[in-house]
Amino acid sequence: MPTLTIDGKSITVEPGTNLIQAAEKLGIAIPYYCYHPGLSIAGNCRMCLVKMEKSPKPIIACQTLCQDGMVIDASSEEVGKLREAVLEFLLINHPLDCPVCDQAGECWLQDYYMEYGLYNPKFNEQKVKKHFKAAPIGPNVALDSERCILCSRCVRFTDEISKSHELGIFDRGDHSEIGIYPGKEFDNPYSGNVVDICPVGALTDRDFRFKCRVWYLESADSVCNGCSQGCNIQIHVNKDRPHHAKGERVMRLKPRFNKEVNQWWMCDAGRYGYKFIDRERLLEADWEDLLGQTAGALNAFFEKRGKEAFSVLVSPQLANEELFVAKKFFESLGLRQVALLSPNPPGDEDDFLIKSDKNPNTRGAEAIGFSKISPQKLMEGIEKRTIKGMYAFGQDVEALFNGKNLTDKLELLIFQGSNRNSTVSKAHFVLPSATYAEKEGTFTNHAGRVQRFWKALEPLGASLPDAEILRRLSEKMGKPVAAGTPESIFSALAGAIPAFRGLSYETLGKEGIKI
Amino acid sequence: MPFVFSTENQKKIKEILKQYETRQAAMLPVLHLAQEQNGYISPDVEETVAEALDLPIVKVREATSFYTLYEKKPCGKTPIRACRNLSCNLLGGDGILDYVKEKLGIDVGESTPDGKFRLDSVECLCACEIAPMMQVGDDYYGFLTKEKVDQILDQYTGKRVGEPDEAAIESPLREPILSKRFRVKDSIKIETYLKGGGYKAAEKALKTMKPEQIVEEVKTSNLRGFGGAGFPAGMKWGFLPKDRKKPVYLAVNADEGEPGTFKDRYILERDPHLLIEGILITCYAIQSHKAYVYIRGEYVQPARILQQAVDEAYSKGVLGKNIFGTGFDLEILIHLGAGAYICGEETALLESLEGKKGFPRLKPPFPAIVGLFQCPTIINNVETLACLPTIVEKGGKFFSDLGCEKNGGTHLYSVSGHVGRPGIYELPMGTSLKDLIFRYAGGIREGRLLKAVVPGGMSAAVLKADEIEVGLDYESLKKVKTMLGSAGIIVMDETVCMVEALLVTARFFAHESCGQCSPCREGTGWYYKVVKRIYEGKGRMEDLDTLLHIASNMAGNTICAFADGAAMPFSSYPVKFREEFVHHIESGRCELKSTQSVFAEG
Repeated sequence: MPTLTIDGKSITVEPGTNLIQAAEKLGIAIPYYCYHPGLSIAGNCRMCLVKMEKSPKPIIACQTLCQDGMVIDASSEEVGKLREAVLEFLLINHPLDCPVCDQAGECWLQDYYMEYGLYNPKFNEQKVKKHFKAAPIGPNVALDSERCILCSRCVRFTDEISKSHELGIFDRGDHSEIGIYPGKEFDNPYSGNVVDICPVGALTDRDFRFKCRVWYLESADSVCNGCSQGCNIQIHVNKDRPHHAKGERVMRLKPRFNKEVNQWWMCDAGRYGYKFIDRERLLEADWEDLLGQTAGALNAFFEKRGKEAFSVLVSPQLANEELFVAKKFFESLGLRQVALLSPNPPGDEDDFLIKSDKNPNTRGAEAIGFSKISPQKLMEGIEKRTIKGMYAFGQDVEALFNGKNLTDKLELLIFQGSNRNSTVSKAHFVLPSATYAEKEGTFTNHAGRVQRFWKALEPLGASLPDAEILRRLSEKMGKPVAAGTPESIFSALAGAIPAFRGLSYETLGKEGIKI
Repeated sequence: MPFVFSTENQKKIKEILKQYETRQAAMLPVLHLAQEQNGYISPDVEETVAEALDLPIVKVREATSFYTLYEKKPCGKTPIRACRNLSCNLLGGDGILDYVKEKLGIDVGESTPDGKFRLDSVECLCACEIAPMMQVGDDYYGFLTKEKVDQILDQYTGKRVGEPDEAAIESPLREPILSKRFRVKDSIKIETYLKGGGYKAAEKALKTMKPEQIVEEVKTSNLRGFGGAGFPAGMKWGFLPKDRKKPVYLAVNADEGEPGTFKDRYILERDPHLLIEGILITCYAIQSHKAYVYIRGEYVQPARILQQAVDEAYSKGVLGKNIFGTGFDLEILIHLGAGAYICGEETALLESLEGKKGFPRLKPPFPAIVGLFQCPTIINNVETLACLPTIVEKGGKFFSDLGCEKNGGTHLYSVSGHVGRPGIYELPMGTSLKDLIFRYAGGIREGRLLKAVVPGGMSAAVLKADEIEVGLDYESLKKVKTMLGSAGIIVMDETVCMVEALLVTARFFAHESCGQCSPCREGTGWYYKVVKRIYEGKGRMEDLDTLLHIASNMAGNTICAFADGAAMPFSSYPVKFREEFVHHIESGRCELKSTQSVFAEG
């Protein structure tokens, strides 16, 4: 393992570590644009130039692998001058349109200028005119080529990660431009990632553009609920300025690094699949009254039809904690027809991040002891009148039954969910629940990785987290289940379910643990 | 109408694809074919080429937009490429361009209404000895006057008009090493070459020497890489991995492009077998069985001559299988570039050979370890390789003794500009620059005074008239803060406006920067704009500091040496001729030229 010195501090690193990574371990930030740990090394921006003892020229830290005995100067005034010079070159043809640039506030040109620039500008010429200004190049991404610093991160992403090869650098010299072949669309299942990795305002997110200034955003760590991959994400919310986006709170999702799950990336379906959090929500409930009536109806049903005629459909969209509470609650009621039903049909799959199971917690639900039931079997049950009552957790059973008016045959239909759908109007009782963004919990992904997600927002309107609804209902039913904080529920779950044994929120940490 | 390759071209493409290790590597030749058939590269052509090469279309567009020889819109059949670089500029090239424009009634970038010609103003075509010059179709025409332009354009029917232009070819040596056949009749034919003892050295090498022995002789010879960097050739070969798991390639750098340089063209056009023999010896020494010769796209005729010579060599058995019955095999493939100076940089050359844009690669790994198609590769300049037969025949020591300390042999010095006899001079390494100009090349024309000399191609720092008592070798010129480079010597007399000379220089670097590294991409364009403003009489005193600021921030901070090369003239002209720049700024005009507004744009 090589031992080297950076700014007088000694460090020993794994072979294959580059100078940027080694410096980072020492708390020394070497600035860069083109370098990205998930992409090949391009070495073109020259921002990470550092000095090395015995080297006649400065070297780039991104490409240079640590070797024994290296003596690196990463922070001297001389190195600072190199950075200032590179910044000046990058900025001469860059427009001064920060006030109308969506990247402002998270722009690496702005950030590094404040840190390494602040020079007296010498450029007095006409800027180079480029072709794309605020041009949509695909459904999700807009290109502004005069803002581009030609770091080639996006090109490398499409060559190496999405393998869709849409982007290229055309022309040469200071007329070089990132672009897409005329008439083609920048449309691939991972297109939004280029916005994340664009260090400047050249590639912006058409969904997010001008919705909200980034400095008004707050962020919570979460896990995407769009499929069983469980990509780690951040939910960016705007709480204080509802007028900026017509009252909508979630402004965007961003991938969060997890080496084992999604590295730096996420798919577009997941990225733009957040709209349901603020739209078409079920908001109204006088809980005391509503749950009192629901409990009454349930008891009446059990008395009249018996417990075997009542079917509970838990959802793989629920967190492990909620499923555990549901399990205990429905067991306490003596119900046996409790099964797992996906609210979403299976969809696309690829060999990267996208999984056909469009739920985040199927593995968790199965581990807790729920078995899948098919819509066909349910339909048969209703038709044969063996099922006369139903408790659905978000599943649009009316739509699932495909217009056969089967829900009309149910004597009791309780719907607990977050959003409107065709089942809502058929249900006798509608219990508005919170979305995953509005609560804390854990999901277990397809590979069995248990991952925590955190609360980004308060539940909208009167909605409540599913576990809390079940807890309150259990009290009304006279069979109270214990349900404290998600953490305490998880700890009970870990004690009760062998697959989760030994796990706790603390041990799960940010990256989760495989069961 | 979608573009479809003709049946004949489809056959050719199949053959081309067989010759390369990857489909993408066939990009440039296939695009050349497509342009020949279609007249220009339309989006339809790009689509068809992408399909033929099984590549995303964006990779094809990257190439077609990077290389200047690919026309992107319908245009006249025959290209007229008028050189606008320094040597031509010094001898009235701008006036020639103006005359062509006037005569044809079209501007740069336009075509004649009859579809016969298209006109371009281009960077150095490396025929500075016949400046002012232009290329019409495949041929070079020099010593241009209005009358000569009339004659060429009026009589042009697709074939060369008149005889090729002759410049000086001289050497004080009794038996020059590189130029001895340059004036010999039928020098390009293998019979002529064999008659003079040709391929004897290769036979000796293959039959009697071990590869390591040749490497040792080359080390002894002090042969330096004549491409411009002067890296010791033997040492370069020594970087190849000892443990060979992959094939080794030789890439011959015939992408001559350094303004002021034309030596490699003379070898290609006048003694191609000398190069082939050098390639054969080198490939044996490095145990390579395939050599690619990367020739700049404008060198259509030199490439044709070399191809004929290669074909002859195959038929005589000095190329191909089992050469001289030794069991050694060698294949040579000629690859035409498509208009990009940067492809002379060795790793950009490899990228271009692989069908990509000419973006220099990050080093390490060096090409000797990971080169062409990820295999160990040696890249040598044409002239360097042409020295091999002599080294093998007469020994490394003989060669070394011809030159000076650490600089073996002789060198083909390209001399252009305001000298009495521009041309090629084969002289021992270390010959004084003053001697070259005044003793050999006829001194300064018309009895004028010397003002400045660019000693090593455009990328070298300029020397003032009182700095020319210096040896023309790598170390001596480095001592005076310039370089031998490619030994392209551009001589400027007292009538030259140094602001204009720098402007032409700056325009060249701005045009040729590949655009990969931020300092070079942005710096070259910025620099050009500032010089242009000074030239146009709108300069400010602080501009002089800005010029030096840009130059010093570019140098040493990029992937390849292009920025270092650009920075040399950028930082020397405004310092060594400061009064002239100051005068331009203060008075807003030039004392030497009354018509600076005619400076050719574009």
